[in-house]
Amino acid sequence: MLKLKNVKSCFTPNSIQEAVDILKKSDGKAVIVGGGLDITVFPNPTIEQLIFLNKLGLTYIREDDENIKIGATSTITDVAKAPVMQNYLKGKVKIALTELASELLRNQITMGGSIARHHFYSDILPALYALRAKIMVSGGEFVEEFFIDDFYRNDLKVLMESCIVVGVHLNKYDDSFQFGSKRFVRNATDIALLNMAILAQIEEDIIKDISISVGSRPGPAYRFEQGEAFLRGKKLTKVLAEDFGLFTKSNVDVAKDMHLSREYRQHIAGIYTKEILLDFIGGVG
Amino acid sequence: MKVRYSINGKKKEFEIEAGEVLLDVLRRNGYFEVKGNCYMGTCGTCTVLIDGLPYTSCTMLAAKVDGSEITTIKGIGTLQNPHPLQKAFVEKGAVQCGFCTPGTILVAYALLKSNPDPTDDDIKKMLDGNLCRCTGYVQQIEAIKLAAKMLKKGDG
Repeated sequence: MLKLKNVKSCFTPNSIQEAVDILKKSDGKAVIVGGGLDITVFPNPTIEQLIFLNKLGLTYIREDDENIKIGATSTITDVAKAPVMQNYLKGKVKIALTELASELLRNQITMGGSIARHHFYSDILPALYALRAKIMVSGGEFVEEFFIDDFYRNDLKVLMESCIVVGVHLNKYDDSFQFGSKRFVRNATDIALLNMAILAQIEEDIIKDISISVGSRPGPAYRFEQGEAFLRGKKLTKVLAEDFGLFTKSNVDVAKDMHLSREYRQHIAGIYTKEILLDFIGGVG
Repeated sequence: MKVRYSINGKKKEFEIEAGEVLLDVLRRNGYFEVKGNCYMGTCGTCTVLIDGLPYTSCTMLAAKVDGSEITTIKGIGTLQNPHPLQKAFVEKGAVQCGFCTPGTILVAYALLKSNPDPTDDDIKKMLDGNLCRCTGYVQQIEAIKLAAKMLKKGDG
Protein backbone atom coordinates (compact mmCIF):
# COMPACT_ATOMS: atom_id res chain seq x y z
CA MET A 1 0.00 0.00 0.00
CA LEU A 2 1.71 3.20 -1.15
CA LYS A 3 0.67 5.70 1.49
CA LEU A 4 1.77 8.97 -0.06
CA LYS A 5 0.92 8.30 -3.67
CA ASN A 6 1.81 11.69 -5.09
CA VAL A 7 5.15 12.19 -3.39
CA LYS A 8 7.80 12.33 -6.09
CA SER A 9 10.92 13.40 -4.25
CA CYS A 10 12.60 13.63 -0.87
CA PHE A 11 15.16 16.22 0.24
CA THR A 12 17.59 16.11 3.14
CA PRO A 13 18.95 19.68 3.18
CA ASN A 14 22.23 20.57 4.87
CA SER A 15 21.08 23.89 6.26
CA ILE A 16 17.92 25.58 7.47
CA GLN A 17 18.28 28.08 4.63
CA GLU A 18 18.35 25.27 2.09
CA ALA A 19 15.28 23.69 3.68
CA VAL A 20 13.41 27.00 3.62
CA ASP A 21 14.39 27.58 -0.02
CA ILE A 22 12.97 24.19 -1.04
CA LEU A 23 9.82 24.94 0.93
CA LYS A 24 9.34 28.35 -0.68
CA LYS A 25 9.92 27.07 -4.22
CA SER A 26 7.50 24.19 -3.82
CA ASP A 27 4.33 26.24 -4.24
CA GLY A 28 2.80 24.59 -1.18
CA LYS A 29 3.53 21.09 -2.43
CA ALA A 30 6.40 20.34 -0.03
CA VAL A 31 6.09 19.48 3.61
CA ILE A 32 8.61 19.40 6.42
CA VAL A 33 8.73 15.96 8.00
CA GLY A 34 9.13 15.92 11.76
CA GLY A 35 8.59 12.36 12.94
CA GLY A 36 6.32 11.73 9.98
CA LEU A 37 3.44 10.30 12.00
CA ASP A 38 0.91 12.94 11.03
CA ILE A 39 1.95 12.73 7.39
CA THR A 40 1.59 8.96 7.16
CA VAL A 41 -1.55 8.60 9.24
CA PHE A 42 -3.36 11.48 7.54
CA PRO A 43 -1.92 11.42 3.97
CA ASN A 44 -2.40 14.64 2.05
CA PRO A 45 -2.67 13.99 -1.72
CA THR A 46 -1.42 17.48 -2.57
CA ILE A 47 2.02 16.77 -1.09
CA GLU A 48 4.66 16.03 -3.73
CA GLN A 49 7.91 16.67 -1.84
CA LEU A 50 9.16 15.64 1.58
CA ILE A 51 11.83 17.61 3.41
CA PHE A 52 13.72 15.73 6.13
CA LEU A 53 15.58 17.70 8.80
CA ASN A 54 17.95 14.88 9.82
CA LYS A 55 21.12 16.81 8.93
CA LEU A 56 20.27 20.13 10.59
CA GLY A 57 21.45 19.33 14.10
CA LEU A 58 18.05 20.07 15.61
CA THR A 59 18.02 17.06 17.92
CA TYR A 60 19.18 18.44 21.26
CA ILE A 61 18.05 19.39 24.75
CA ARG A 62 20.21 22.13 26.27
CA GLU A 63 19.85 24.54 29.12
CA ASP A 64 21.05 27.96 30.09
CA ASP A 65 20.26 30.01 33.19
CA GLU A 66 16.73 30.85 32.03
CA ASN A 67 15.55 28.20 29.60
CA ILE A 68 15.49 24.58 28.62
CA LYS A 69 16.05 24.63 24.87
CA ILE A 70 14.64 21.74 22.86
CA GLY A 71 15.51 21.22 19.20
CA ALA A 72 12.63 20.60 16.81
CA THR A 73 13.63 17.09 15.80
CA SER A 74 13.98 15.90 19.39
CA THR A 75 11.42 13.19 20.01
CA ILE A 76 9.14 12.93 23.02
CA THR A 77 11.37 10.10 24.23
CA ASP A 78 14.47 12.27 23.84
CA VAL A 79 12.90 15.02 25.92
CA ALA A 80 11.43 12.73 28.59
CA LYS A 81 14.78 10.99 29.08
CA ALA A 82 16.89 14.15 29.09
CA PRO A 83 18.66 14.63 32.46
CA VAL A 84 17.44 18.21 32.72
CA MET A 85 13.80 17.06 32.63
CA GLN A 86 14.09 14.61 35.53
CA ASN A 87 13.58 17.30 38.16
CA TYR A 88 12.06 20.04 36.03
CA LEU A 89 8.91 21.13 37.88
CA LYS A 90 9.36 18.15 40.22
CA GLY A 91 9.45 15.73 37.28
CA LYS A 92 5.79 16.41 36.42
CA VAL A 93 6.48 17.49 32.84
CA LYS A 94 8.45 14.31 32.28
CA ILE A 95 5.49 12.30 33.61
CA ALA A 96 3.13 14.18 31.28
CA LEU A 97 5.35 13.33 28.32
CA THR A 98 5.70 9.67 29.19
CA GLU A 99 1.93 9.33 29.46
CA LEU A 100 1.46 10.40 25.85
CA ALA A 101 0.64 7.66 23.34
CA SER A 102 2.85 4.56 23.39
CA GLU A 103 6.62 4.16 23.60
CA LEU A 104 6.54 3.21 19.91
CA LEU A 105 4.96 6.51 18.96
CA ARG A 106 6.87 8.62 21.48
CA ASN A 107 10.03 7.44 19.76
CA GLN A 108 8.72 8.91 16.51
CA ILE A 109 6.79 12.04 17.49
CA THR A 110 8.98 15.14 17.44
CA MET A 111 8.46 18.37 19.33
CA GLY A 112 8.66 20.44 16.16
CA GLY A 113 6.26 18.21 14.28
CA SER A 114 3.75 18.38 17.12
CA ILE A 115 3.91 22.16 17.18
CA ALA A 116 3.81 22.75 13.44
CA ARG A 117 1.05 20.30 12.62
CA HIS A 118 -2.33 21.68 11.76
CA HIS A 119 -4.13 19.52 14.33
CA PHE A 120 -3.19 21.73 17.19
CA TYR A 121 -5.36 19.98 19.73
CA SER A 122 -2.41 17.56 19.89
CA ASP A 123 -1.61 16.05 23.26
CA ILE A 124 1.61 17.97 23.79
CA LEU A 125 0.24 21.42 23.16
CA PRO A 126 -1.88 21.86 26.30
CA ALA A 127 1.27 21.21 28.37
CA LEU A 128 3.22 23.71 26.27
CA TYR A 129 0.44 26.30 26.66
CA ALA A 130 0.44 25.90 30.43
CA LEU A 131 4.24 26.12 30.48
CA ARG A 132 4.08 29.30 28.36
CA ALA A 133 6.52 27.79 25.91
CA LYS A 134 8.31 29.92 23.35
CA ILE A 135 8.37 28.62 19.80
CA MET A 136 11.45 29.33 17.72
CA VAL A 137 10.73 29.74 14.02
CA SER A 138 13.32 30.22 11.30
CA GLY A 139 12.92 31.63 7.85
CA GLY A 140 16.54 30.84 7.03
CA GLU A 141 18.17 34.21 7.51
CA PHE A 142 16.31 34.96 10.75
CA VAL A 143 14.97 33.22 13.84
CA GLU A 144 11.85 34.63 15.45
CA GLU A 145 10.55 33.79 18.90
CA PHE A 146 6.81 33.50 19.49
CA PHE A 147 5.00 32.90 22.74
CA ILE A 148 2.90 29.84 22.03
CA ASP A 149 -0.36 31.77 22.28
CA ASP A 150 0.88 34.21 19.61
CA PHE A 151 2.26 31.44 17.44
CA TYR A 152 -1.18 29.93 16.96
CA ARG A 153 -2.69 33.30 16.19
CA ASN A 154 -0.75 33.17 12.91
CA ASP A 155 -2.23 31.64 9.80
CA LEU A 156 -0.25 28.46 10.36
CA LYS A 157 -0.64 27.22 6.80
CA VAL A 158 0.84 30.43 5.40
CA LEU A 159 3.60 30.63 8.03
CA MET A 160 4.67 27.04 7.48
CA GLU A 161 5.05 27.61 3.74
CA SER A 162 8.06 29.84 4.32
CA CYS A 163 9.33 29.02 7.81
CA ILE A 164 10.39 26.05 9.90
CA VAL A 165 9.84 25.43 13.59
CA VAL A 166 13.39 24.92 14.82
CA GLY A 167 12.88 24.60 18.54
CA VAL A 168 10.92 25.25 21.69
CA HIS A 169 12.13 26.96 24.84
CA LEU A 170 10.72 26.27 28.28
CA ASN A 171 11.23 28.73 31.14
CA LYS A 172 13.08 27.39 34.13
CA TYR A 173 10.60 27.95 36.92
CA ASP A 174 11.70 28.20 40.53
CA ASP A 175 10.46 25.96 43.34
CA SER A 176 7.40 28.13 43.98
CA PHE A 177 5.89 26.79 40.74
CA GLN A 178 4.02 23.52 40.39
CA PHE A 179 2.83 21.75 37.26
CA GLY A 180 0.19 19.10 36.76
CA SER A 181 -1.66 17.58 33.84
CA LYS A 182 -4.35 15.02 33.13
CA ARG A 183 -5.64 13.43 29.95
CA PHE A 184 -8.72 11.45 28.99
CA VAL A 185 -8.06 8.97 26.24
CA ARG A 186 -9.76 5.85 24.95
CA ASN A 187 -6.57 3.85 24.50
CA ALA A 188 -2.83 4.39 24.64
CA THR A 189 -2.30 5.14 20.99
CA ASP A 190 -5.21 7.49 20.45
CA ILE A 191 -5.10 11.27 20.65
CA ALA A 192 -6.65 12.38 23.91
CA LEU A 193 -10.23 13.61 23.91
CA LEU A 194 -9.48 15.98 26.77
CA ASN A 195 -6.25 17.37 28.22
CA MET A 196 -5.94 19.75 31.13
CA ALA A 197 -2.67 21.23 32.34
CA ILE A 198 -1.97 23.77 35.08
CA LEU A 199 1.16 25.69 36.02
CA ALA A 200 0.81 27.62 39.27
CA GLN A 201 3.07 29.76 41.39
CA ILE A 202 2.07 29.27 45.01
CA GLU A 203 3.65 31.36 47.76
CA GLU A 204 2.46 31.02 51.36
CA ASP A 205 -0.56 29.10 50.06
CA ILE A 206 -1.59 32.01 47.79
CA ILE A 207 -1.87 31.40 44.06
CA LYS A 208 0.27 34.23 42.76
CA ASP A 209 0.47 33.27 39.11
CA ILE A 210 -1.31 30.63 37.09
CA SER A 211 -1.81 29.32 33.59
CA ILE A 212 -4.41 26.72 32.77
CA SER A 213 -4.76 25.07 29.39
CA VAL A 214 -7.33 22.88 27.76
CA GLY A 215 -7.02 20.58 24.78
CA SER A 216 -10.20 19.04 23.50
CA ARG A 217 -10.05 17.19 20.23
CA PRO A 218 -11.07 18.29 17.62
CA GLY A 219 -10.97 21.85 18.98
CA PRO A 220 -7.68 23.74 19.26
CA ALA A 221 -5.80 23.91 22.56
CA TYR A 222 -6.18 27.19 24.43
CA ARG A 223 -5.59 29.01 27.73
CA PHE A 224 -8.57 28.89 30.10
CA GLU A 225 -8.26 32.54 31.10
CA GLN A 226 -11.58 32.65 32.91
CA GLY A 227 -10.34 29.89 35.19
CA GLU A 228 -7.02 31.65 35.70
CA ALA A 229 -8.84 34.82 36.79
CA PHE A 230 -10.97 32.77 39.20
CA LEU A 231 -7.92 31.35 40.97
CA ARG A 232 -5.38 34.18 40.84
CA GLY A 233 -4.73 35.69 44.28
CA LYS A 234 -6.78 33.13 46.17
CA LYS A 235 -5.60 30.92 49.01
CA LEU A 236 -5.20 27.34 47.82
CA THR A 237 -7.32 25.10 50.01
CA LYS A 238 -9.30 21.89 49.53
CA VAL A 239 -12.48 23.96 49.46
CA LEU A 240 -11.06 26.15 46.69
CA ALA A 241 -10.11 23.03 44.72
CA GLU A 242 -13.68 21.73 45.06
CA ASP A 243 -15.12 25.12 44.08
CA PHE A 244 -12.83 25.40 41.11
CA GLY A 245 -13.79 21.94 39.91
CA LEU A 246 -17.42 23.08 39.82
CA PHE A 247 -16.43 26.39 38.20
CA THR A 248 -14.50 24.54 35.51
CA LYS A 249 -17.39 22.18 34.81
CA SER A 250 -19.73 25.14 34.30
CA ASN A 251 -17.41 27.43 32.38
CA VAL A 252 -14.81 25.51 30.42
CA ASP A 253 -15.28 25.53 26.67
CA VAL A 254 -14.69 22.07 25.21
CA ALA A 255 -15.37 20.49 21.87
CA LYS A 256 -17.61 17.52 21.23
CA ASP A 257 -17.47 14.79 18.63
CA MET A 258 -18.76 11.30 18.02
CA HIS A 259 -16.48 9.94 20.72
CA LEU A 260 -17.53 12.08 23.67
CA SER A 261 -20.18 14.67 24.41
CA ARG A 262 -19.44 18.23 25.52
CA GLU A 263 -21.24 17.70 28.82
CA TYR A 264 -19.18 14.65 29.72
CA ARG A 265 -15.93 16.42 28.84
CA GLN A 266 -16.93 19.40 30.99
CA HIS A 267 -17.64 17.02 33.86
CA ILE A 268 -14.23 15.37 33.48
CA ALA A 269 -12.52 18.75 33.13
CA GLY A 270 -13.98 19.76 36.50
CA ILE A 271 -12.67 16.60 38.12
CA TYR A 272 -9.25 17.05 36.54
CA THR A 273 -8.75 20.64 37.65
CA LYS A 274 -9.85 19.73 41.17
CA GLU A 275 -7.45 16.79 41.27
CA ILE A 276 -4.52 18.82 39.97
CA LEU A 277 -5.11 21.52 42.59
CA LEU A 278 -5.42 18.92 45.37
CA ASP A 279 -2.14 17.48 44.19
CA PHE A 280 -0.62 20.96 44.43
CA ILE A 281 -1.80 21.21 48.04
CA GLY A 282 -0.01 17.95 48.74
CA GLY A 283 3.10 19.36 47.13
CA VAL A 284 3.15 22.67 49.03
CA GLY A 285 5.80 22.84 51.69
CA MET B 1 15.12 6.54 -5.20
CA LYS B 2 17.61 4.26 -3.46
CA VAL B 3 17.94 3.65 0.28
CA ARG B 4 20.54 1.67 2.19
CA TYR B 5 19.92 -0.10 5.46
CA SER B 6 21.67 -2.60 7.61
CA ILE B 7 18.97 -5.20 8.28
CA ASN B 8 19.70 -7.81 10.94
CA GLY B 9 23.38 -7.06 10.45
CA LYS B 10 23.39 -7.38 6.65
CA LYS B 11 23.84 -4.40 4.34
CA LYS B 12 20.97 -3.94 1.91
CA GLU B 13 20.09 -1.47 -0.82
CA PHE B 14 16.53 -1.05 -2.08
CA GLU B 15 14.78 0.97 -4.74
CA ILE B 16 11.77 2.66 -3.13
CA GLU B 17 8.99 5.08 -3.94
CA ALA B 18 9.54 8.44 -2.22
CA GLY B 19 6.27 8.18 -0.29
CA GLU B 20 6.61 4.60 0.91
CA VAL B 21 6.60 3.52 4.53
CA LEU B 22 9.25 1.18 5.88
CA LEU B 23 6.78 -1.67 6.47
CA ASP B 24 5.98 -1.93 2.77
CA VAL B 25 9.63 -1.78 1.73
CA LEU B 26 10.53 -4.55 4.17
CA ARG B 27 7.69 -6.86 3.17
CA ARG B 28 8.25 -6.29 -0.55
CA ASN B 29 11.80 -7.41 -0.05
CA GLY B 30 10.93 -10.59 1.78
CA TYR B 31 10.91 -9.59 5.43
CA PHE B 32 7.52 -11.20 6.03
CA GLU B 33 8.20 -11.54 9.73
CA VAL B 34 7.25 -7.85 9.93
CA LYS B 35 3.45 -7.94 10.01
CA GLY B 36 1.19 -5.26 8.59
CA ASN B 37 -2.22 -4.49 10.02
CA CYS B 38 -3.57 -1.09 11.04
CA TYR B 39 -1.23 1.19 9.06
CA MET B 40 -1.88 3.90 11.66
CA GLY B 41 0.61 3.14 14.43
CA THR B 42 -2.18 1.76 16.55
CA CYS B 43 -1.56 -1.96 16.87
CA GLY B 44 2.22 -2.39 16.98
CA THR B 45 2.34 -5.59 14.89
CA CYS B 46 4.75 -3.94 12.44
CA THR B 47 7.30 -3.03 15.13
CA VAL B 48 10.97 -3.06 14.15
CA LEU B 49 13.98 -1.68 15.94
CA ILE B 50 15.59 1.26 14.19
CA ASP B 51 19.03 2.00 15.59
CA GLY B 52 17.98 0.05 18.67
CA LEU B 53 14.68 1.76 19.44
CA PRO B 54 11.24 0.30 18.65
CA TYR B 55 9.06 2.03 16.06
CA THR B 56 5.92 1.20 14.13
CA SER B 57 7.26 0.65 10.62
CA CYS B 58 3.81 1.40 9.13
CA THR B 59 4.16 5.06 10.09
CA MET B 60 7.86 5.47 9.41
CA LEU B 61 8.76 6.89 6.01
CA ALA B 62 11.32 4.57 4.45
CA ALA B 63 13.36 7.46 3.07
CA LYS B 64 13.59 9.12 6.48
CA VAL B 65 15.57 6.26 7.98
CA ASP B 66 17.94 5.81 5.05
CA GLY B 67 21.28 4.63 6.48
CA SER B 68 19.79 3.12 9.66
CA GLU B 69 20.27 -0.22 11.33
CA ILE B 70 17.02 -2.15 11.31
CA THR B 71 16.30 -5.20 13.41
CA THR B 72 13.35 -7.52 12.82
CA ILE B 73 12.36 -10.45 15.01
CA LYS B 74 14.71 -12.66 12.97
CA GLY B 75 17.58 -10.43 14.01
CA ILE B 76 17.42 -11.30 17.69
CA GLY B 77 17.22 -15.10 17.54
CA THR B 78 16.77 -18.08 15.28
CA LEU B 79 14.87 -21.37 15.46
CA GLN B 80 18.12 -23.09 16.37
CA ASN B 81 19.25 -20.40 18.78
CA PRO B 82 16.24 -18.49 20.08
CA HIS B 83 16.59 -15.39 22.24
CA PRO B 84 15.51 -15.87 25.89
CA LEU B 85 12.43 -13.79 25.13
CA GLN B 86 11.45 -16.18 22.36
CA LYS B 87 12.03 -19.17 24.67
CA ALA B 88 10.05 -17.53 27.46
CA PHE B 89 7.11 -16.66 25.20
CA VAL B 90 6.84 -20.34 24.22
CA GLU B 91 7.31 -21.57 27.77
CA LYS B 92 4.66 -19.26 29.24
CA GLY B 93 2.11 -19.76 26.45
CA ALA B 94 2.35 -16.11 25.44
CA VAL B 95 1.93 -17.01 21.77
CA GLN B 96 -1.48 -17.99 20.50
CA CYS B 97 -2.33 -16.82 16.99
CA GLY B 98 1.17 -15.34 16.85
CA PHE B 99 0.36 -12.31 14.70
CA CYS B 100 1.35 -9.72 17.29
CA THR B 101 4.26 -11.73 18.67
CA PRO B 102 7.16 -10.37 16.57
CA GLY B 103 6.25 -6.79 17.46
CA THR B 104 5.63 -7.58 21.10
CA ILE B 105 8.92 -9.41 21.51
CA LEU B 106 10.86 -6.58 19.86
CA VAL B 107 9.30 -4.03 22.20
CA ALA B 108 10.12 -6.31 25.15
CA TYR B 109 13.66 -6.69 23.80
CA ALA B 110 14.08 -2.91 23.78
CA LEU B 111 12.64 -2.71 27.29
CA LEU B 112 15.04 -5.28 28.71
CA LYS B 113 17.99 -3.57 27.06
CA SER B 114 17.24 -0.32 28.88
CA ASN B 115 15.66 -1.82 32.02
CA PRO B 116 16.88 -5.34 32.81
CA ASP B 117 14.64 -5.67 35.86
CA PRO B 118 11.25 -4.24 34.90
CA THR B 119 8.22 -4.18 37.17
CA ASP B 120 4.81 -5.32 35.97
CA ASP B 121 3.90 -1.66 35.50
CA ASP B 122 7.03 -1.01 33.43
CA ILE B 123 6.09 -3.93 31.18
CA LYS B 124 2.43 -2.92 30.90
CA LYS B 125 3.43 0.64 30.00
CA MET B 126 5.90 -0.58 27.40
CA LEU B 127 3.27 -2.87 25.83
CA ASP B 128 0.77 0.00 25.56
CA GLY B 129 1.25 0.17 21.80
CA ASN B 130 1.11 -3.56 21.05
CA LEU B 131 -2.35 -5.04 20.80
CA CYS B 132 -2.95 -8.74 21.45
CA ARG B 133 -6.46 -10.14 21.19
CA CYS B 134 -5.55 -13.69 22.25
CA THR B 135 -3.47 -13.76 25.38
CA GLY B 136 -4.97 -11.00 27.47
CA TYR B 137 -1.38 -9.92 28.09
CA VAL B 138 -0.99 -11.89 31.34
CA GLN B 139 1.17 -14.58 29.76
CA GLN B 140 3.18 -11.96 27.87
CA ILE B 141 4.00 -10.13 31.09
CA GLU B 142 4.99 -13.42 32.75
CA ALA B 143 7.14 -14.32 29.74
CA ILE B 144 8.96 -10.98 29.79
CA LYS B 145 9.67 -11.36 33.50
CA LEU B 146 10.94 -14.89 32.91
CA ALA B 147 13.15 -13.67 30.07
CA ALA B 148 14.54 -10.97 32.34
CA LYS B 149 15.49 -13.67 34.86
CA MET B 150 17.02 -15.84 32.15
CA LEU B 151 19.08 -12.95 30.85
CA LYS B 152 20.29 -12.10 34.34
CA LYS B 153 21.42 -15.66 34.84
CA GLY B 154 23.14 -15.55 31.48
CA ASP B 155 20.83 -18.25 30.13
CA GLY B 156 20.50 -17.95 26.38
